[in-house]
Amino acid sequence: MSHLWGSRWSGFGFLLLLVLVWEAAGRYGWIHKLFFPPATKILASFFQIVASGEVLGHVGVSLWRAGLGYGLAALVAITLGVLMGYWRVAYESLEVVVELLRAVPPPAIIPVAIVFLGIGDQMKVFIILFSCAFPILVNTMDGVRSVDPVLVRTARTFGLRQGALLWKVVLPAASPFIMTGLRIALAIALILVVISEMVGATSGIGYFILDSQRSFRIPQMYAGMLVLALLGYTLNRGFLLVDARLMAWHKGLTARQR
Amino acid sequence: MARFPGKGLAVLLGCLVLWEVLARQSGALALYFPPASQVLATLAAILGNGELLDHIAASLLRFAEGYALAAALAVSAGLCFGLWRPLYALFEPLIELLRPMPSPATIPIAILFLGIGDQMKVAVTVYACFWPILLNTIDGVRAIDPVLMNTAATFRLGPWERFRKVVLPAASPQIVTGLRVSLAIALILVTTSEMVVSNDGLGFYILDRQRSFQIPEMYAAIVALAMIGYGLNRLFLTLDGWAMAWHKGLTRKEEIL
Repeated sequence: MSHLWGSRWSGFGFLLLLVLVWEAAGRYGWIHKLFFPPATKILASFFQIVASGEVLGHVGVSLWRAGLGYGLAALVAITLGVLMGYWRVAYESLEVVVELLRAVPPPAIIPVAIVFLGIGDQMKVFIILFSCAFPILVNTMDGVRSVDPVLVRTARTFGLRQGALLWKVVLPAASPFIMTGLRIALAIALILVVISEMVGATSGIGYFILDSQRSFRIPQMYAGMLVLALLGYTLNRGFLLVDARLMAWHKGLTARQR
Repeated sequence: MARFPGKGLAVLLGCLVLWEVLARQSGALALYFPPASQVLATLAAILGNGELLDHIAASLLRFAEGYALAAALAVSAGLCFGLWRPLYALFEPLIELLRPMPSPATIPIAILFLGIGDQMKVAVTVYACFWPILLNTIDGVRAIDPVLMNTAATFRLGPWERFRKVVLPAASPQIVTGLRVSLAIALILVTTSEMVVSNDGLGFYILDRQRSFQIPEMYAAIVALAMIGYGLNRLFLTLDGWAMAWHKGLTRKEEIL
């Protein structure tokens, strides 16, 4: 027994125990008869909404919005971040505007976006773009500014032109920071797609969850949250895989010697 | 201190002038796109007659309660998990399952159990802020240089002293990182929960003015919210600079000429 304590299995055992307690609490109504259904009921609802394809449509819509907003944000923010990190004039000119815009909590932009873009996909993509851009921008900027000057000077000595210098020296040197920004932005993209779908939407996983609660289909609400958790987990894992592959050179370079 | 951002302010002023001119020319769009001067005048008016202050106070109170509670819970839990591996192993699958779920998804559950009042909003804020602080604290404790711990053991520091003099200071930069990430998240969740269901707070005010087509008021409140966000961030950085001055002095890179 003692070898189990502290192993991976202790965690899964504990999780199983929690699910069992949940089941009992749901069955006997320890917490609330209606609001806290047993785990098996939630699982059944989960399989039902997945099998009927009902939830897959919502997930697809959410993924499309999040992906488009995230991709556009990465494109715009990395470009702007490199500019602001590399050219002092760009930094000094845009710093104040960026600091002010960054301070706005993104949900506050939703009403403005609704006024201009309606309540369709455009509005949601814009909100995600807006909120993901700042973590990527700020990290890219920091990354570019912290590039070792010796690297840049060495490259200049070897006669690299401006473009090649950016592409071959500055971007790779800043890439660990850029990846950090992208990882933070991934979580934010998921948060904002859910929020924008809760405030004004007729589709998407955020809408599905809030709508299930409002129409008192409680097991379905929990099942929707389970779907969302799995989605978040998968995206996170996927990001880590891509990161490990892209940045393998960097990890090899900075691995501490034992 | 920081140098005076002359160019930055000039660009900001340019943006405001451009906004003003575009809005005045916009014709049919004017309803959605009031000029900057009108927005600022509205902001002064709703601040002056106290209309906005109550909403600001309601939001700030929720923010403060949620953020402080999350910080206290997450730092304590993070220290325990970081110091005691078997405990972390026990909770790891649960943490891994809950952490990636976008926090606004908990709003509907919170509504079921806590109603639509302040409790719900504070609970949702606590939940959302908990994770970044927790994970950073765990990482911070884990990353403590073993040499430090061994040295402390060599000097026969007791467990409490070791905790106070070695673990806490060594983990504090990471803890501060978690706290900074959570600051922005707390504002997001307070605003969102007020938008989804509320009858006061800045999030409610902004959405409500949009729905009743009082567009200048909507923009004015967004400007106010941005200023609050900016102010909180500045305050955090100031406190951070003050509390962590020892750390910055210690790790400052030598300037290479």
